[in-house]
Amino acid sequence: MTAVAGAPVDPALEAALESITASETRDEVDETVVPEADETEAADDSVADDSLVDVSVTADSVDSAQSAVATIDGSTDLVSVEAEDAMPEPALVLRDIRKSFGDLQALDGISLEVPVGSFYGIVGPNGAGKTTTLSIVAGLLRADSGEITIAGVDAAAKPVAAKRLMGVLPDRFRTFDRLTGRQLLYYYGALRGLPPAEVERRTIDLARAFDLTESLGRVVSDYSAGMSKKIMLAGALIHSPRVLVLDEPFEAVDPVSSAAILDILQAYVAHGGTVILSSHGMELVERVCSRVAVIVAGSLVAEGSIDEVRGEVSLEERFVELVGGAGELEGLEWLHTFSD
Amino acid sequence: MVAHILRLRLALLLGAFRGDPQKVTRGVVGALLLLAATVAACWALLGVQESSSAAVGAITVFCGATLTLAFALAPIVAAVTDPLDPRRFRVFALAPEPLAGALALAGLLSVPVLGLVALVACAAVVWVAAGATVVAAIMAAIIGVATCVLFARVSLGVAGIIFGDRRSRELSGLLLVTVLVIVVPVGVFLASLDWRGTVPGPLQQVVDILSFTPIGAAWAFPLLFTRGDASGVLALLIALGTVAALGFAWLALVRHFLSSIEKPLTTRERGGLGWFSVVPGTPGGAVAARSLVYWLRDRRYLVNTLVIPVAAVATVVPLLIAGVPANVAALVPILFVALFFGWLPHNDLAYDSTAIWMHVASGLRGLPDRVGRLVPILVIAIPVLAIGIPISVALHGRWAIAPAIVGVCASLFFSGLGLSSIASAASPYPVTPPGESPFQQPQRTGSSGAVPQALVMLGSLAVSAPSLWWTWLALTRTIEAASLALWVGVATGLVVLVAGVAIGAAVFTRRTGRIMEFAEAS
Repeated sequence: MTAVAGAPVDPALEAALESITASETRDEVDETVVPEADETEAADDSVADDSLVDVSVTADSVDSAQSAVATIDGSTDLVSVEAEDAMPEPALVLRDIRKSFGDLQALDGISLEVPVGSFYGIVGPNGAGKTTTLSIVAGLLRADSGEITIAGVDAAAKPVAAKRLMGVLPDRFRTFDRLTGRQLLYYYGALRGLPPAEVERRTIDLARAFDLTESLGRVVSDYSAGMSKKIMLAGALIHSPRVLVLDEPFEAVDPVSSAAILDILQAYVAHGGTVILSSHGMELVERVCSRVAVIVAGSLVAEGSIDEVRGEVSLEERFVELVGGAGELEGLEWLHTFSD
Repeated sequence: MVAHILRLRLALLLGAFRGDPQKVTRGVVGALLLLAATVAACWALLGVQESSSAAVGAITVFCGATLTLAFALAPIVAAVTDPLDPRRFRVFALAPEPLAGALALAGLLSVPVLGLVALVACAAVVWVAAGATVVAAIMAAIIGVATCVLFARVSLGVAGIIFGDRRSRELSGLLLVTVLVIVVPVGVFLASLDWRGTVPGPLQQVVDILSFTPIGAAWAFPLLFTRGDASGVLALLIALGTVAALGFAWLALVRHFLSSIEKPLTTRERGGLGWFSVVPGTPGGAVAARSLVYWLRDRRYLVNTLVIPVAAVATVVPLLIAGVPANVAALVPILFVALFFGWLPHNDLAYDSTAIWMHVASGLRGLPDRVGRLVPILVIAIPVLAIGIPISVALHGRWAIAPAIVGVCASLFFSGLGLSSIASAASPYPVTPPGESPFQQPQRTGSSGAVPQALVMLGSLAVSAPSLWWTWLALTRTIEAASLALWVGVATGLVVLVAGVAIGAAVFTRRTGRIMEFAEAS
């Protein structure tokens, strides 16, 4: 990253770059492309020196040849790198994703774009394909056709580089729950290639943030549903990813914890991260998300900012309308006359 | 200061008998056991007085060297905390030389060393009876005890430096298993030797070598002097050199401890990681640690592992009924153990159930996944084989066949692991999900897994055919074929293992999508 020498010199930038190069050498980046300073087109997002986000710069800034540093907003704790003349590279682009399981067409040509720094909600009725979409984004499932680009990285061509940019929280999958909380977080970090000392430092921070410090010594299978959700979310954050893919992150989480998680996620988004989540809770999506996509039966029926999608009514009403309404209650007349 | 430290040491020794009744009971029982063992050993030692000078020499040197080795290794294996750790004297600003001397002297005041002193006194009596001079016997006793005490000090210090706070129950367990792997075969071998009246040839050879090593020289020189050649002087010089070298090492350690401090962070952060603190901090190491936790804690793995020895021993019964000679049948179970151990991880991936998503989502490459998963089976199987092979061969009765058995076992086991690495990535089949009874049949939606099971087992048998053939030749015709069977077996095993892991890694990397679909479906 020494080639950025042409850019304006600023102590804060230098510090940020140092942390970038330091973490680069740690990760095994073999296809390093050093962007030339004069070729800079777009700097796609901001870089926080927050401990949660500091590694996220590596893979992306190397892999996407476009990204570089243009102008600096050198505040003390936030080095904001803004776009000069082009649109920033979206955090996620899906183009015409199709997926079928046997005869069942689960996804029927989903295309959407998630801008960097957005809090993106995916909503839909049960079985609409939300989880399938997120699994494909996370690289857990392979789409039958279509293109996925994560922050400029083509997920089909460079799956490992793309996965490095993402933190994933699946909904129905198990975790290695015979490990203690501490071991599980260590495992998350070590699989991502973080050095042990760093993993242990972040484990302590994450446990404090998610209020799990007391439970780190216990086996995860003894955790309550909400606690396992929290430790898995902590694990998804441990390598400070650029994009978070969360499937039903608030299910089974108590209101206090879910407020704490929301705070963490909102701070993450404020520092340039992108959150993509699926949820049943329309009220929650309406409150926290900046953009929303509605998926019904494997197709995208509405997409845009919350205001664009809901129009005059509440998101929930709009959602019911899009999905096709509850329908007339028919065939259950026997339920209206009680048998005793 | 010396008097101070000695008094401190004595107080610590007596302190073991105060306080928590449970701890005191344990201490008393331990001391009594040690006392009984010492008395028995002294009795046995005094009993060999009547034997020939050569037998006395062989026994005292062998046992002495073993004891010395035990003093050197015990502090490393047992993870004891030294109450007189030089680091604890750091705050007093003492000069290192007197402190090192005082601590070494205080090291004499411990229960095991007192037992050692009693034994050495008996040995001195025996030496004199066998013709050694009194002066030489007393010198040997003093030098021997000094060697043991200094060895214990130095290895305590070195263990502190190497392991630091990475010390955990898991690591101690591993080291203990390693010691067993070495001790049991040697013990079985010694027990099977022909002891009637004379020193068995192989033992004499070992003793001749031990007599001129740091651990054996002190015990050897009194009787070597009676030979009248230079060997006694040589052994004495080696013994004195050892004490001097250990003394310097101890002094250097004390100096190091007094002038350096450890990084304070490690203790807190390394805590509670279990196996994860033993393995290297790489993705492969983490997979290995995770697998170890599961193999040792998940009943599904435990049942699989425990069934193997039972099944293997059971195979002998039909063979005996069919009229196979007992000494040939004795060799069969260990081969089955090797075969089954190699076959065991052929569906390892399926046991993770949907938790495998962590490996897929983190972009873990195939190689660390494949290699990490093989670590627990290696940790379990190698000790079992190392202990089982000598026992089988001892039951068989002819030690010359041992290399062939090692070769066949290596071939069956390692090639099985190689083929399993491919099978578990290429065609996992459903198993009981985590947390359910290991005896419950899984709901099978796809293949039943009969094909990969059979392929791995038959495959490892097929590639082991050459090694098996030469073993058969060694058994029936010429024993020289045994060494050929060894080399062929080890070579096939390693080649198939490396190739299998490489192919399995490529398959894993390529098939992650399929693997997730399998995990979700089952």
